[in-house]
Amino acid sequence: MELLTMILDRINYVGAATLFVIGLYTVLTHPNLLKKVIGLNIMETSVFLFMVSVGYVSGGKAPILGTVKEPIVGAYVNPLPTAMILTGIVVAVSITAYALSLIIKIYEAYGTIELDEIMEARSEQANG
Amino acid sequence: MKDLHEQRNKSIFQKIGEHLDSFCVNCILVFILTAFLVGVFVYLTAYSTGSTSLGLEFLGFKFVIADSFINLLNNIPYLPIVAIFIPLIGGPLEAYIGARKLEVLRDSMVVNTTFVTFIVILAMYPQIAADKIFYHIPGVFGLGLNFKVDMLGFIFAVTSGVLWLMVTIYTRDYMKIERHRSRFSLWMAITFSGILGTIFAGDILTLFLFFEAMTFASYMLVAHNQSKESMLAGNNYIYMGVAGGLSILLGIVLLYVYTGTLEFIPLAAELNEIGNTKYLITMLFVIGFGIKAGMLPLHIWLPKAHPVAPTPASALLSGILIKMGAFGLLRIVTSFFTPDLTNVVDPDPTLWEVSANLGAVIIWVGIATMAVGVFMALQQSHMKKMLAYHSISQMGYIVMGIGVAAYLGDYGAMGFAGSVFHIVNHALFKGLLFMAVGLVYMRTREQDMYKLGGLWQKLPFTTFVFIVAALGITGMPGFNGFASKSMLHHAIVEAYEYGHYSFRYAEMIFTIVSAGTVCSFIKLFGYVFLGKLPEKYENIKGDNGMMDMAMGGLAVLIVAIGQAPNYFLDNFLIPSAQGFAYDSYFISNYLVGMNFFNFDDIYIMFWIYLMGAGIFIIGSKYHLFHLNMPKWMDTETSLYKPIYSFVYKSSLKITSRFELSLIKEDVIIYTIVLASALLILTRFL
Amino acid sequence: MDSTQLPLILLITLLIGAIITPLIMKKFNWIGKRMIIGIMSLAVLMSGYLLFDVFQNGAYLYNIGNWDPKIGIQFNIDEFSTFMAFFIILLAFLIIIYSIRDIEHEIFPLQIPVYYSLVFLLLLGMVGITFTNDLFNTYVFMEILAMTSCAIISIKRKKANYMAAFKYLMLNTLASISFLLGIALLYMATGYLNINEIGNVIGEAWELYPTNILLALGFIATGLGIKAAVFPLHTWLPDAHSNAPTPSSALLSGLVVKVYIFVSLKIVFRVVGADITLDNLGINNFIAYFAAVGMVAGSVFAIGQKDIKRLLAYSSVAQLGYIFLGIGMGTAAGLTAGLFHVISHGLMKTALFLSAGAIIYKTEKRNVDDLAGIGYEMPITMLVFSIAALGMIGIPGMSGFMSKWYLALAVLEAEQPLYLVVILISSFLNAVYYLPIIISAFLKPREDGSEEMTRDGIPKSMIGPMAIIAGLVVLIGFFPQIILNIIEKAVLTFI
Repeated sequence: MELLTMILDRINYVGAATLFVIGLYTVLTHPNLLKKVIGLNIMETSVFLFMVSVGYVSGGKAPILGTVKEPIVGAYVNPLPTAMILTGIVVAVSITAYALSLIIKIYEAYGTIELDEIMEARSEQANG
Repeated sequence: MKDLHEQRNKSIFQKIGEHLDSFCVNCILVFILTAFLVGVFVYLTAYSTGSTSLGLEFLGFKFVIADSFINLLNNIPYLPIVAIFIPLIGGPLEAYIGARKLEVLRDSMVVNTTFVTFIVILAMYPQIAADKIFYHIPGVFGLGLNFKVDMLGFIFAVTSGVLWLMVTIYTRDYMKIERHRSRFSLWMAITFSGILGTIFAGDILTLFLFFEAMTFASYMLVAHNQSKESMLAGNNYIYMGVAGGLSILLGIVLLYVYTGTLEFIPLAAELNEIGNTKYLITMLFVIGFGIKAGMLPLHIWLPKAHPVAPTPASALLSGILIKMGAFGLLRIVTSFFTPDLTNVVDPDPTLWEVSANLGAVIIWVGIATMAVGVFMALQQSHMKKMLAYHSISQMGYIVMGIGVAAYLGDYGAMGFAGSVFHIVNHALFKGLLFMAVGLVYMRTREQDMYKLGGLWQKLPFTTFVFIVAALGITGMPGFNGFASKSMLHHAIVEAYEYGHYSFRYAEMIFTIVSAGTVCSFIKLFGYVFLGKLPEKYENIKGDNGMMDMAMGGLAVLIVAIGQAPNYFLDNFLIPSAQGFAYDSYFISNYLVGMNFFNFDDIYIMFWIYLMGAGIFIIGSKYHLFHLNMPKWMDTETSLYKPIYSFVYKSSLKITSRFELSLIKEDVIIYTIVLASALLILTRFL
Repeated sequence: MDSTQLPLILLITLLIGAIITPLIMKKFNWIGKRMIIGIMSLAVLMSGYLLFDVFQNGAYLYNIGNWDPKIGIQFNIDEFSTFMAFFIILLAFLIIIYSIRDIEHEIFPLQIPVYYSLVFLLLLGMVGITFTNDLFNTYVFMEILAMTSCAIISIKRKKANYMAAFKYLMLNTLASISFLLGIALLYMATGYLNINEIGNVIGEAWELYPTNILLALGFIATGLGIKAAVFPLHTWLPDAHSNAPTPSSALLSGLVVKVYIFVSLKIVFRVVGADITLDNLGINNFIAYFAAVGMVAGSVFAIGQKDIKRLLAYSSVAQLGYIFLGIGMGTAAGLTAGLFHVISHGLMKTALFLSAGAIIYKTEKRNVDDLAGIGYEMPITMLVFSIAALGMIGIPGMSGFMSKWYLALAVLEAEQPLYLVVILISSFLNAVYYLPIIISAFLKPREDGSEEMTRDGIPKSMIGPMAIIAGLVVLIGFFPQIILNIIEKAVLTFI
């Protein structure tokens, strides 16, 4: 029971770890380049989740001034990780875009996006 | 037949006019000047008034000139640098001139730069006679370059200078049968500069720098004619050279870290404190320098490299370059492993322990080297290969002498002087032998001695100088080899008188090896110069003037040193031995005024000659000169080739096996590394 | 002149270069070339002045926009960062001069302006990483660097390049994710991203949350291990460096990989601090193990290569091992040796890649076996190659010898003599693969049998930079004090 509450208290972190492993597993096992990119994206998401959770203060509110009628009082969540994650997401998107465009080129060049087949074609080329 | 007669009857001036170009005039002038300079030098050193001044007492006017001139020389401490830089700058210049197709100018320049270098070397004498030359260039390599020239270095430098000068005179005509002559002169000059740097180095790092430069520059000489054989020999040479260099470097690093110094100063006390590492350091230095010196079993590059190189390069390789290994050994034996005796009244005898152990090993290595060398030499039919094996054998003598010097500690002066003397002598007669054989090859294009014969009719002068050199190497009294061999013989006798009795056997092997040397030169001379002249050589050209002059110069030196060994001993060897930690009582008792031409030594030589002739007769009767060596005895096939092919093939195999799979499994590797890193780190919780 | 704003102006100059190059250049004409050279010379001058200024007036911290360092970005302008920035820009300047003629051969003309834009961004990333004193900012610059370095590989439209770039990108992203996760863990434990601030409170955090710091170290180490091509994680490097256009290979091998070494130095010595990393965890020992394995394995793989650029790429894996071995000693002497080798390897490997590229430029020969007699065809190029290759082997007179010398002394000073043997074995293996190239270039006859010495036959703007770099290799080889004095001061900022 205690264990369960411990996990529940840190559910964000557990979620991040799970996502990280899922993502890594995808990258690891799928020879399809597209799926590898998806796996990478899952991993990135896990890190973003983790980082946002770091900045969260329980019961905290968004760090904005609020209106005159409802001024924010008490704790507010740390805005810094959120801001950083925004940068991180931009980076992740651009990398995904770049990777996808590369995959298109690879498909044009090799006629496949399965890593196994590409490696085979390459080693044949090297031997022949 | 009539034509031949007419040709012979042509006036000698006509003949000279046909062959004489500006190069020859230049060479003759240089030769005469050199002879004059050496004569004056010998005269001055033999009759000088004291060790500091070289003036003449009885010629008042000349005295003043000589004295002021010497004062001038005494004020130039950077002479060693000048000597190193002249060939270093001259070489590229020569190559540039050669590339502009000005071959005569280039060849004259090669001779002249060597000549100028030689003069600079000689000019160092007044300072060396007084003290050592020290020169320091700060900043280079962080620690700065140190130069120190003592009498030992001076002997080496003069020997290399003389031999180099003669070889450059010889080179022009010989190299007409080779290509890439400009390249050859470039790398020859750089090798010369590397050798001079090695000799003048004042600390082991400086020595290492020039030693490596010499190795790489001389590679270009070995592989010069680019045939498959010479490329293979060159590969052998360069890889062993690199390995040797690395081993020296490791030794240097260890020495520097444990003792904090790199200079050639007595370090036995410091080394005694560092336990067994001192033996590791010793071993590394011996291996590193032993490779260059052709020490068994590290000699395998030598009989391959010397025959394939163009003859001038072979003469220099055998004459000077392999001596640099011996020089390195001498330097470390006389410095790092000797105790500092300057301020000690009662020296601690245990400090000689490392030196004695090292010496005992080196003596036996030297003995084995000389025995194997001479045995292999007897088996050869290729003339230059045979001479190369003799170089190994003679290096065995030298290494043995160094071993005795190290083994006997402060009584080692005889071994030291003997090996230095033999280095000088061997440079002269082995250089001459290679040059004579090279001339034979140039005329006949044949290296197999069994296919030659009767060449004394065609090449009378070459035959004559060959006899002089052969008498020198075999140790005929009156020629230079006799003096140094007797000294080495005295040294090995002392080794068992003052040391272990087992060196008695070493002495016996020494005698037998000397007999084997005699035998193999009877063989070489008999097959090449005596007997019937094969028909196809009926019309070959005869001697060559410039080459004869170069060879003649060396022959004169061989005889001169042979006639007056005491001059050399008193003026050079004893001062150089006095510069090191040798017992002065021993030196003055045994070395000063040594009588070379005593009955015992001549008697031994007589027996050696008799034995040599006996071996020759028995050997040729029972065909002992064509033994087929079992494969495993060849250290190359059983040791070095497997190492190289193991490194190369296993690398190829590893690459083809793992390279692609590593690349394929990159993410798996990442996962494994990440997981193990996390696991290892959580251990610290 | 007040130079406090100079670091940012330097970065902005590079950024402007990156933006306006493709804008004003439709074709790669002389205006574009002059502009690129002009911007680069400006950058060289600025970074040179920064170096001079720091050595004259001391180091300082620069807050961008004057924000509080706790939330803003801070640059650490000290002896280390200015010297390395100067080195990066200077070497890149030489490579760019070389590239102007070479790149026309390698990529489509329309892409040339884009290529230079990417190179400027690459430089921005490298200089930024060197300057920054903020972990998240480091991550951002690392991503800029990763994207642009992949892009300057894939800009050459060959099959192999796409695949190499994709692999590089994938592994780089994995590494970046790990690094970011590590930063997040550190932030969680300390509450700061500024390197100095973390360094101040890390002792306390180590008492409270050791798990966080350990996990962070694990992730960061793996991430940087990929980016800096530590041996088993080097798998992207040979493909990427060998397929890239020559100037890119030189930039990637000579400079980009080193920048990640700077990051790891900052992590080990400034962020987590020597007290924890060295004394408590002994991380330096692990670094040294991996380095030693890499030194031998990289050389072994290099022996097995036939493609000259691939051989050079594997040689980089081995040489990075030398740098990490120096760092792994955990002493000031080791760090000095490592940083010395950063410079020396940067110069030598750039010279090697540029000369190999020049050979490919003229003869299209990539196979090591085909290079027979090339020394007569292209004497200066092969001379540059030989100088750099002999330096790699460790022949005295080249800078490689001095780095081995300092490394060997450092290894012995740290009392780990076993690594000395590794250094020697690796040096010998270097000889096994570099010497045959030099030998066959100068001593074997060409295919057509001619042995005439000819001119190199490549543009002067390619020969010039190569010759300058080779000259620097020799200069540093003889007078190591020139840079050693600076490096010794830079090391003081770490230990």
